[in-house]
Amino acid sequence: MRIALAVAAALLVPIGAGTVAAHHSMAMFDNTREVTVRGTVKQFQWSNPHAYIQMVSTDAGGRNVEWSMEMGSPMYLYARGWRPRTLRPGTEVTVRAHPLRSGKAGGVVLDVVDADGRAIGSNQ
Amino acid sequence: MKAPLLALAAMLGLGAMPTMVQSQDAPDAQADRVEQFSQLPFWPGYWVAEEQAGTTVGGIAPSVLAAREKGEAVANFMNLRGGAAKWNAEGQRRLEAAQAINAGRKAAGWGFPMMMNAATPLQFVITPEHVLIVNAYSEVRHVYTDRDMPDEFDLWPTVMGTSVGHWEGDTLVVETTMVRSPIEYFHGAPPFSDDAHYEERIRLEGDRLVSDVTVTDPTTLEEPFVTQVSWIRDEGFDRMIMVDWDNDRTGVDENGVNTIEAEVVE
Repeated sequence: MRIALAVAAALLVPIGAGTVAAHHSMAMFDNTREVTVRGTVKQFQWSNPHAYIQMVSTDAGGRNVEWSMEMGSPMYLYARGWRPRTLRPGTEVTVRAHPLRSGKAGGVVLDVVDADGRAIGSNQ
Repeated sequence: MKAPLLALAAMLGLGAMPTMVQSQDAPDAQADRVEQFSQLPFWPGYWVAEEQAGTTVGGIAPSVLAAREKGEAVANFMNLRGGAAKWNAEGQRRLEAAQAINAGRKAAGWGFPMMMNAATPLQFVITPEHVLIVNAYSEVRHVYTDRDMPDEFDLWPTVMGTSVGHWEGDTLVVETTMVRSPIEYFHGAPPFSDDAHYEERIRLEGDRLVSDVTVTDPTTLEEPFVTQVSWIRDEGFDRMIMVDWDNDRTGVDENGVNTIEAEVVE
């Protein structure tokens, strides 16, 4: 796994922890930090109230780690050019995300690129 | 059909007669309905809460990102949560009680009133008899415009409440009652009581739909809560993408903080 902790504190300042941008508070994500995770899609959950990319990456110790990458709801993904079959098991992707504050392997997606570094959908 | 013929049909027990009546009267009724339709506003498209337009694949609205960069609160964001409401002691008590159990709380939908202000597009289907307001979570409001509010005895609290409406020019005026306390259904909703009365005045202003909302609820409010919500047509929506709300993975970690429920896919 290649995790790059890109500290973006200069740009990202936390606002009220109770801000609801989705159906739940976004306070569970540390929006002052970014992680970039490269791995293989295990399952793409095209579901409400959120879609999830379940992906497996290899950590520095050579162990496989399964990440849960939260996205918006399918209607927004659809509007940005995504479809249920956009990501298939085995697809190699790189996901940039704000990580979970809990330290667990998860985050909220900022953008996704394929193995060639091309944006998937409009990534907007 | 003329009255004597109806009486004769009834005497003879001719069950097929009403169908004949309908077919004879249908052209006039159809013409009347076409005329009624022609006088109604038409709000086609998929309407997204204005401050949530452009929401990214991560579910984050540009307005939220912009506010973060400035270190400011998000203006006009989900106004119907009641952030500007003047809660009385009971309203405050309900809010605090809900917040005490919020960690990791799951939901089954937005419900009313939050569906009118939520991260989901809305569709307004206007007919002479009613207006249907539909979101992408299969939630539907039925606003009847051809009748009065039912008697109190015929009402009970529900997630969507009961709505009747009428047109004042091109403004749809909606009265809604018997909404089950919204915060019991959805944790981000306001703590209004079952007895709250909601008035919405919805109209088209240029390319925006705008709704002035007044909530009257002496049980939880010091004074009526007045706010405004608005919607625009966002890019990329060409049909209503309905997917069941069946994968709420909101969980809570060992520190009592929300997290994504772990899920190992075999």
